Amino acid sequence: MKITRFDKLFGGRNGVLLGLAVAFILILALVPLFASGFWMRTLTMIFLLAAMAEGWNYIGGYTGYAAFGNVAFFGVGAYGTALAMLRLHFPFFLAMVVGVLAAMAFAVIIGLPVLRLKGHYFAIATVALATAMGELADFWTSFTGGAAGLTLPFFNPLKWSNQFFYYISLLLVVFGLWLTYFLMNRKLGYSWVAVRENEDAARMMGINTTWSKVTAFALSAMMAGAAGAIYGYWSTFVLAEEVFKIDYTLQMILATVLGGPGTIFGPFIGSFIYYILITLLVFFFHVGEFHETILGTIIILVMVFTPQGIMDFLSGKKKLTISSLLENIRMHRV
Amino acid sequence: MEREVILEAQKVTKHFGGLAAVQDVDMKIYRGEILGLIGPNGAGKTTFVNVITGMLPITSGKVYFKGKDITGWSAYRIGRIGIARTFQIVKPFRGMTVRENVAVGAMFGHKGKERSTKDALRKADEVLDFVEMSHLRTKHADELTLPYLKRLELAKALAMEPELLFLDEVMAGLNPKEIESAMELVRRINERGVTLLVIEHVMKAIAGVTERVFVLNFGMELAQGTPEEVLNHPDVIKAYLGEKFVERQKRKQQLRSNG
Repeated sequence: MKITRFDKLFGGRNGVLLGLAVAFILILALVPLFASGFWMRTLTMIFLLAAMAEGWNYIGGYTGYAAFGNVAFFGVGAYGTALAMLRLHFPFFLAMVVGVLAAMAFAVIIGLPVLRLKGHYFAIATVALATAMGELADFWTSFTGGAAGLTLPFFNPLKWSNQFFYYISLLLVVFGLWLTYFLMNRKLGYSWVAVRENEDAARMMGINTTWSKVTAFALSAMMAGAAGAIYGYWSTFVLAEEVFKIDYTLQMILATVLGGPGTIFGPFIGSFIYYILITLLVFFFHVGEFHETILGTIIILVMVFTPQGIMDFLSGKKKLTISSLLENIRMHRV
Repeated sequence: MEREVILEAQKVTKHFGGLAAVQDVDMKIYRGEILGLIGPNGAGKTTFVNVITGMLPITSGKVYFKGKDITGWSAYRIGRIGIARTFQIVKPFRGMTVRENVAVGAMFGHKGKERSTKDALRKADEVLDFVEMSHLRTKHADELTLPYLKRLELAKALAMEPELLFLDEVMAGLNPKEIESAMELVRRINERGVTLLVIEHVMKAIAGVTERVFVLNFGMELAQGTPEEVLNHPDVIKAYLGEKFVERQKRKQQLRSNG
């Protein structure tokens, strides 16, 4: 995958789009006042996906390392939180801190050796890692509860449960957006993009590339870990098969790529697009797994025609015309 | 008076498997000078610089920068103590603007620690002004032509505020007029007090700017001296133009002297 633009915010249409984004988030904040439980739960799912996608964007979008195992951090976050709640009787927020720190520590320990690999090797290593973690959680019965999973208490008071998970997820997403914006104006953000564009030149220019990459990996683990913590508590049940599912990795990558990797709002917008797309497809083609075939086709078309995601068009950097789509093919062929 | 040695290489050796790309090279670079490093294709010039700057691990030998042993240091630490380089095959950060490219050097280079992102961007403007690229600052690096990409390499390195700068074939692929202005720029950089090691394949380009030339061949030192001495050195001519050329020259000279 080749990602090019280093977006400060929105290219040419800064003000307008920032205004729209703020308005959109405010509307989202008001949704629980009138929406049904179904819509709140759907949006909570989208927020958790967006949070993971924002995290993936640090390592995959800005730093350019195709991490295919980020679900491992989601899982570690979920298990860490659940174990802290059950074994140590921590309240949720404290347990969440434990889960997130565990995910980050795990990313650092794994990142130091694995981030030396490049390209396909790195991608394969991360897939293997996530699979191994799932197996470990499944078989280490004494610690993780094994195939029986871990059962968590319900949120109390139960009648505010939907609201609680809705707002905490939204908060996480907004925090992710702010963090991205903040870092992209800091040396760390510059170092990520420099590593992505040319690691040798980055090293020679005084960038400690190992530190830069490990930080990107750890921050992406932080976002995924936090999403995992919330998800675990929300579903009151943590099971290896569920929280280490490779589908989550694919979803966060797809959301980022659809929206625009290496942009601030890309993963956020992409998560909505992904969710709407999949919902419509299931609705219209509910026969068997057919909708996944269609989704696959759409993803291929997006990758071929707009490898920069739809942010390219939203930001006004490119006009949505046939010639610009064709130019994309020429520019980004591998 | 003895001049200050800014960089000293002692018996620097680099092997790739069984192949000795650089073998026992001793080199001294004096503060303030422009040293030329020449040699035929594959002589080990770039490998030598890669080893000195920590891009490649050294096989054996020692490297001292201002008297400090920097052998085996990683590239980023070398970049931070005041050594910068350009790459023969340009390595721009394509997704960034020209200004951001240069700012990276100012952020992480020699005095990067003391600089905020904003200061670094300001420094980048200053450097772009110096290399006469101010009008391109908001362009993306992938929109530049080769001469400007080569100049961007220079700007990125200069923004690191190095004391010692390695230029790896910044003039290759340029036309005579562009070479002229690149040479002028090299001189101006040197006037600012930066010591330079200029690797060049084009002998003519180098003779105009350096006082001293170092010749590598098959990874070993072949000759050292002023450009004049080196260019008339029989071994250098042989290395560049081949055995037969030297013989033919001799025969011609003999014919001429025989009348």
